[in-house]
Amino acid sequence: MATFDFRAAQESARRASILLVIGFGLMVLVIGGAIGFLVAAFLGAPSEAPAGGLAVDPALAGGIALAVIVGITAVALIRVAMLGNDGAKVARTLGGDEVTEDATNPYHRRFMNIVQEMSIAAGLPPPRAFVIRNEKGINAFAAGGDPSRAAVGVTHGALAKLNREELSGVIAHEIAHIAHRDTRLNTRLMGMVFGLVVLYWIGRVLMRSFFFTRRRRDNRGAMPAMALALGFIVLGSLGVLGGRILQAAVSRRREALADAGGVQFTRNPRGLANALKKIGATADGSRVGNPHAEEARHLFFAEAAGGLAGLFATHPPLVERIKALEPTFDPETDPIWRMDERAILRDARAELRIGPWERVQ
Amino acid sequence: MEILVILLVVAALIGFVVVLYNRLVRLRNAYRNAFAQIDVQLKRRHDLIPNLVEAVKGYMTHERETLEAVTEARANAERMREQARGAIGDPAAMARLGQAEGALGSVLGRLFALSEAYPDLKASTNFMQFQEELTSTENRVAYARQAYNDAAMDYNNAVESVPSNLIARQFGFEPVGMLEFEDRETIQEAPEVSFR
Repeated sequence: MATFDFRAAQESARRASILLVIGFGLMVLVIGGAIGFLVAAFLGAPSEAPAGGLAVDPALAGGIALAVIVGITAVALIRVAMLGNDGAKVARTLGGDEVTEDATNPYHRRFMNIVQEMSIAAGLPPPRAFVIRNEKGINAFAAGGDPSRAAVGVTHGALAKLNREELSGVIAHEIAHIAHRDTRLNTRLMGMVFGLVVLYWIGRVLMRSFFFTRRRRDNRGAMPAMALALGFIVLGSLGVLGGRILQAAVSRRREALADAGGVQFTRNPRGLANALKKIGATADGSRVGNPHAEEARHLFFAEAAGGLAGLFATHPPLVERIKALEPTFDPETDPIWRMDERAILRDARAELRIGPWERVQ
Repeated sequence: MEILVILLVVAALIGFVVVLYNRLVRLRNAYRNAFAQIDVQLKRRHDLIPNLVEAVKGYMTHERETLEAVTEARANAERMREQARGAIGDPAAMARLGQAEGALGSVLGRLFALSEAYPDLKASTNFMQFQEELTSTENRVAYARQAYNDAAMDYNNAVESVPSNLIARQFGFEPVGMLEFEDRETIQEAPEVSFR
């Protein structure tokens, strides 16, 4: 029944992810090299410079480049350690409340059951389950460094607006993130971007301190030092920009991979496709209002904070994702894409056989 | 010199057998582990049923026969589960378990179809909860069975194909049975059919 070739999709997405991670490493190398050159040129300038040129000691430049690269990597590793591997911690930061095995609310029971089913399908220990209350958008996330400490969460909107088949598709997508170790990759990429942010900060601090020294005594080295600080700031911010673009690109590929993995678990592309259609059909879409959602955009099932598209988007466009699952999809005529809010809520609770008075808690 | 060559050939042969043997053991553990997961889910299914019967008894006063059939099918399936647990992979035991679970599924489907005639029952919260729990259990059994069949197939392929088949029989690795539920469609559709 599945017309979707999940194995091929997984393979191509995995290759692209590796290329992007290599791209990140190269960018750090280039930035490190540029700073090494800059510093060596600055230190060598006063005495040895031939007229009109720069004297650069290659050993000095190389040493400094290495120090910068090691520094960025060390900062990144410390940041990764700080972000931690505990999925439950991330879930709580995003405003999630844990749902336990003894939940009685029908929506919560269904959610818990689906999480169990999908972890059996994936052959993983069941992750801890969270619900973000007061979020009307349809969204979900997965977090945690390894499967034993993983957590999945859904918004209130996802529980209220998705039926069993659709919610299964969404949870399967999140469990696929855990199975593919995407949550760990994302933490590492966040760490790398943070390392570049620190570079920018150092430039700012240098700049400020040179302003102070110049005031005290007229230092001839002040102008090149300013240039150096400026170099740090420019390279640092360029690096952060490039890092964000790469991070988003990695995220987009991993999202496509998780869509494929989810279909592998449920053997049913329809549930996931219909869940994506309902995001397109509702006014709240997949928006998450929690202030921490912005920095965790890449953890979510669909774009949590709007306004970012193209290079900075962490998810492929909705229509593109749906078409990958259902090649014949046409937004103009699709009945689910054009469903109104009330019909969506009714559809979601139909299988639970409960009335509109029964609410997701 | 000749002795050295002979020794080398013997060592290589032993190494080859060790690698093959270890691979067979790994695959055997995988399918046994997968069966343990099905066992857990079947137990969950069987544990739900007495509660379900208890909950509907008060409403379905005219369906004594069906309720008894459910209880009986459940007892039979539970017995087969116990037996299968003692003989994981034994094709006959797997077939009997599949048959018993299939029978249980179809008689449950009948119960849910009959429940259509009892509006009070259909409206009761208890019954609605059972429906969700049973749906989930059927799904879990289906996913766990898929995992078992995948693992059993990998193992069977290793037991029956060259070169590992050369040593499989000597060390007592026999092909194992797949778990097919006769009435699979009914089981998976049961809750849907009865409530739509």
